[in-house]
Amino acid sequence: MKSKIGVYICHCGGNISDYVDVNKVREAVKDIEGVEISVDTMFACADSSQKQISDDISKKQLDGLVVASCSPKLHYPTFSAVAERGGLNKYNYVHANIREQVSWAHSDDKIGATEKAIKIVKAAIVRVKESVSLKPIEVKAQKSIAVLGAGVAGMRAAKELADLGIQVYLIEREHFVGGRISQLDYLCGADETGKELVTHLYEKIHEHTNVTLFTGAEVIKKSGSIGNFKIQVKITPRFIKNECNRDELLKAIEVCPVEVDDDFNFNITKRKAIYRNYDSEYPQKPTIDNKNCTRCGECEKVCSSIDFSQKEEILDLTVGSILAATGFDPYQPKEGEFGWGIGNVVTLPQFRRIINMCDDKLIYKGKEIKDIAYIYCVGSRQVDGDNKYCSRYCCTATLYTSILTHKKYKDIHSFHFNRGIRTYGKQEVIYDEASRLGDIFLQSYEYDPPEVTKLNGKTNVKIEDILTSGSEIDVDADLVVLVTGMEPRNDCSIGDVLKIPKGRDRFYNEIHMKLRPVETVIDGVTIAGACQGPKNIMESMNSALSAAAKSYSIVNKGELSLEPIIAKVDKETCVWCGKCAEACPFDAISMIKENGKDIAEINLSVCKGCGMCLPVCESNSIDMDGFTDLEIESMISVLAGS
Amino acid sequence: MQENKLKEYDALVIGAGIAGGETALNLANVGNKVLLIDKDLTVGGKMIMLSKVFPTLDCSACITTPKVSEIARHQNITVLTSTEASDIIQKDDGTFEALITTQPRYVVVEDCTGCQLCEDACPVNVDDQYQYGLVGRKAAFIPFSIASPRAAAIDIENCTLCGACERACPTDCIDFTQTVEKYTIKCKTVVVATGFQLFDPTLIPRYGFGRFKNVITSMQMERQLAPTRPFNTVLRPSDGKMPDNIAYVLCTGSRDKTVGTPICSQVCCMYSTKQAQLLMGALPMADITLYYLHIRAFGKGFNEFYAQAQSMGVEYVKGKVAKITEKEDGNLILRYEDINTGKVTETEHDMVVLSVGILPNEGITQLFTNRKLELDPFNYVSQANPLESPAMTSIEGVFVAGVASAPMDIPDSILSGGAASSEAANYIRHIAKKTVEV
Repeated sequence: MKSKIGVYICHCGGNISDYVDVNKVREAVKDIEGVEISVDTMFACADSSQKQISDDISKKQLDGLVVASCSPKLHYPTFSAVAERGGLNKYNYVHANIREQVSWAHSDDKIGATEKAIKIVKAAIVRVKESVSLKPIEVKAQKSIAVLGAGVAGMRAAKELADLGIQVYLIEREHFVGGRISQLDYLCGADETGKELVTHLYEKIHEHTNVTLFTGAEVIKKSGSIGNFKIQVKITPRFIKNECNRDELLKAIEVCPVEVDDDFNFNITKRKAIYRNYDSEYPQKPTIDNKNCTRCGECEKVCSSIDFSQKEEILDLTVGSILAATGFDPYQPKEGEFGWGIGNVVTLPQFRRIINMCDDKLIYKGKEIKDIAYIYCVGSRQVDGDNKYCSRYCCTATLYTSILTHKKYKDIHSFHFNRGIRTYGKQEVIYDEASRLGDIFLQSYEYDPPEVTKLNGKTNVKIEDILTSGSEIDVDADLVVLVTGMEPRNDCSIGDVLKIPKGRDRFYNEIHMKLRPVETVIDGVTIAGACQGPKNIMESMNSALSAAAKSYSIVNKGELSLEPIIAKVDKETCVWCGKCAEACPFDAISMIKENGKDIAEINLSVCKGCGMCLPVCESNSIDMDGFTDLEIESMISVLAGS
Repeated sequence: MQENKLKEYDALVIGAGIAGGETALNLANVGNKVLLIDKDLTVGGKMIMLSKVFPTLDCSACITTPKVSEIARHQNITVLTSTEASDIIQKDDGTFEALITTQPRYVVVEDCTGCQLCEDACPVNVDDQYQYGLVGRKAAFIPFSIASPRAAAIDIENCTLCGACERACPTDCIDFTQTVEKYTIKCKTVVVATGFQLFDPTLIPRYGFGRFKNVITSMQMERQLAPTRPFNTVLRPSDGKMPDNIAYVLCTGSRDKTVGTPICSQVCCMYSTKQAQLLMGALPMADITLYYLHIRAFGKGFNEFYAQAQSMGVEYVKGKVAKITEKEDGNLILRYEDINTGKVTETEHDMVVLSVGILPNEGITQLFTNRKLELDPFNYVSQANPLESPAMTSIEGVFVAGVASAPMDIPDSILSGGAASSEAANYIRHIAKKTVEV
C-alpha cells in the first residue's frame, strides 16, 4: 500500500476554481493517512508546475501521485509522463477529473461542486494507495502500412511512406486509381488537370518498389492491434489477362452490346459493360462490370485478353498501421429539390463533366447554353435535412467553374444564387475574378431559398434577394446547376470493419481536432482527406502527409510499447465456461490446457483492457491490471460513504 | 553554454508557434535532431495567448501547454528563445548553414525559479506586449504565467540599470554581463514557420482605433477573455465599466484593397463568433452584434458553431461599417449600410471590437543568401507545388508550415505542420542517402 502520496489540485486558470473552492479541497485531503503533500496550482499542466511535481516526486520520494484537473482524455498522458520523469511508475499515478465532471457540470452549485470534488479526489487517493507498478508490453511492429483508397490523398500518403522506406499496400475499391479528382479537368490554383495530377502521382507510386497496388480490392476483415493488424482483402477479378492486347481490348469495348449509365460521368452518358473511364486512365486496362455483363461472349470473339475464368481472391496481410483515405460522395439531390428532375437541372459534378465534353460550344441535351443559374448549398447548410455542415470547397469550385465557362465559351451569363460566398483565404481572388467577368450574385438566407419552376419551356429561378433589400428577382436560365456538397461515402462498410467512430456530420472523427487531428480512437488507424470532412485538394494533401507522418512514427522503430492495462486470468479458479471469450469484442481470449485443465488465456497484444469479460465471469477469475477490484471497491466505498 | 550547443542538426525550424512546434515534434519523434528557434522570449506563438478556441471551445492554454512541454523536454529538440536565424546558405550537397543569433535575456534561465521577486522590485512600468497593451508590466518580468520557459527576462530597452532586481533575486540569476551569442550551425533542412502579425487598425483612421478608448482589437478582447486575463472580467477601457452592448467590425484589414489586404484572413469570422459566445457567458446581460460581409464558417463543425451563436442570441448584421464616431460618454456610433434594409444606418454601442485580419511576418526572404525564397502576391511564402506538396517552397530542402504560407486556422496550421514534417523527414533521408553514396 502506498504511503507517500502527492496530491495536486489544479485551478485551471479559473475553469475549475471559479466554481470549486480549491483551497477547501486541499484542506479536506491534506491530513488523510498516506498523503505526504497536497498543493494547489494555477495550471498543473504548465511547464513550471510539471517540473515542480516531478521534483517533488524525486526529492520527497513519493510513491503515489494524484492530479485533480481536467479530463484524463486531455492530460492523463501529460501527468503520467511527469510521474515517470520524477522516477515513479506511471501506473502509480491516478487522474481525478474535477473540471468536466465537476466545475463545468455544476457551475450553478458551488457548494455542491466543492463537495463532489472532495469526494472524487479522496476516491483517487484510496485508489492510488492500492495501485501497483506495471510494465508496458513490448511488441514488434510490422514495418508495413495499408493505405485504403487510391484517390489523390491515398496515393500521396503512399508515395511519402514508400520514400521513407515503408512497405505500403495501397488498396483501392474501384478498378482504377484517382478517385474523385480524376473526374475533374482544370483545377483551381494549378496549371494541371485532375487527370494529370492523378497520372503524375500514379507514375510515382508505380515506379516505387515499396508500393503494392491492389485495385478492385476491399478490406473485409480486421483483427489484431496496433503494430500487428491482420487484414483480409477481397480482390474482385478484372476479367482481363495480365499480358493484354490494347487494340483488341478497344475493339472489345466497341462490340459490347450492353449499355448502362456511366457513373464516372454522373449518369449523363452511357458506357459499355467492358469499359475504361478515359484514355489515359490507370491501370491502363479496361475492366468488366460483372454486375451488368451478360456473358454474351461478343468481346471474347474479338479479343484474346479476356479471361472469364478469373476468380475472386482473398488475401491476408499483416500491417503495422492502417491509413484510411476513403474519400466522399457528392450529395445526390432528392426528386423536386431545387427543380431536380425537371430536365435542364444538373449538379455541379455533372456540369464539370459536361464542360469537359463540350469544346467550343456549351451544349446540353442538344441545346446551346448561355444563361446559367448556379444554386449554392444544395445538400449543405440544410435547414430541414441532416447536413448542417458547410461543404467548404463548393463556393470556390463554382466560381472557378464559372470562370472556366467564360474562358472556354462565348457570351456566357452566370447568375449565382448563393447564401453568402465563402471564398476563404487567398481564394478571395477567385471571387474577385468572377465578379470582374460580370457574374451576377443574388443572395438569400437559409430559411428562404430560391425557387426553381418550369414556365413556358423555360426554367425559372426566383429569389428574394437580400443584396437589393429583398427585391423579388427571377432569371430564366438555359441550365440550372445545383452546387451539391460533399457527403460521407454512402457505402462506409470499411469504417464499420475498422470500427472508426463518426461525428455528428457522419464523417469519420479524429481524436482531437487540434491535438491529434489524424488519429482515431482505434490505435494505429489514421484518417486523411475528405473521409474526415469536406476538404479541397491542398487540404487533403496536408492531412494525407500528416497522417503519413503519424503512421510512420508508429511503425518506424519496428517495436512498440503497449499499455499494460489488460485483463488477467486467475489460473487457479478459472474453470473455462467460455463466457469471457464470447463477451470479448477483440477476439483476445482463447482456451488453453494447463495442468490438465481448460482455462482462458488472454492475448496480451490484442486485449484492449475494455473490461467486457469481467462481469460475465461467474467464478470471478478475471481481474484488470490498473483497475483491480480492490482499487474500484475502495473508490466506491469512499464515493458512497458520507 | 556555447560549447554545449550542438553545431549540427538534421532540421532547423524557424518559429516555435503551433505549426513549427508540430513540425519539430513530428521530426524529433522519428529520430531527427531538431533546432527550434523563436525570436520571442517564449514558445507557443500566438495560440498560447488565446482564450478558448473554436469550434470546440477547448481552453487554448490546455491544448498548447502539453505540446509546449513535450517540445521543451524532447531529447531530440533544442529550443532557443530570443533567437533568430540569418545568412542561410545552401551548400552544393543540398545541406544548409545558418547563422544563429541569440539576444541576451540577462537572466540565467536554468537558475530562475520564476518567483517574480524581481518583478516586484523593478520600478519601471511599460506597456505589457503580452497583454496587448491592456495593462503594464515591469522591465524585469516574466512574460506570462504559462510561458515556456517560465523565467524572468530583462527588457534592456526600458531598464534603468538600477539594480533593484539583482538585489531582490534569491538565486542570483540576473546577469547583466550576458552578451549577444552568434554562431554557425549546419542542418539538412530548414522549415519556415514564421507565423503572422496582426493588421494595424490605425491604418483605417475612420474606425478611430488609438483615438477612441473604447475601440479595441479582437486580440485585446481575446486577452480579456483568456484564463491568464488581466482584469478577471471584461471591461471597457475608458471608464472600467462592464460593457453591455458590444459591436464587432469584421474584415478590419481583410478583403480591403484600400489598405493593401485584398484577401480574406480566414479566421476572423470564427474567432469573432467564438468571442461573442464567450462574452454571452461572461456578461450574460450584454448584447453582441457582429457587422459582417459574409460569414465564413467553412471548416469542420464551423457552420454548426455559427448556428449555435445565432441561437444564443448573437446578432449578425450584414453591412460594411463605414465610420465610427465617439460620443462624450465614450459610447460609439457606427455608421454602416444595412444590406437588409438598403439604408445607411447609425447604431450606438458602448464598446467596439475590431476583428483585425492577419498578415504574414516580414523579412523571411532576407534570411536566405544564395537561394531565393519566393513570395506570393500577398507576401506569404510561395508554395511551389501547392496541390501535390503543399509544404514545398522555391528552395529545394526548405519547407513552409502554418500561416507563413497562407492565412489558416489552428487545425489547418497543425495539419500543415504535419505535412512539412513529412516532407522535411524525406528530404533529410534523401540527403543522408546521398552522403552515404559519396
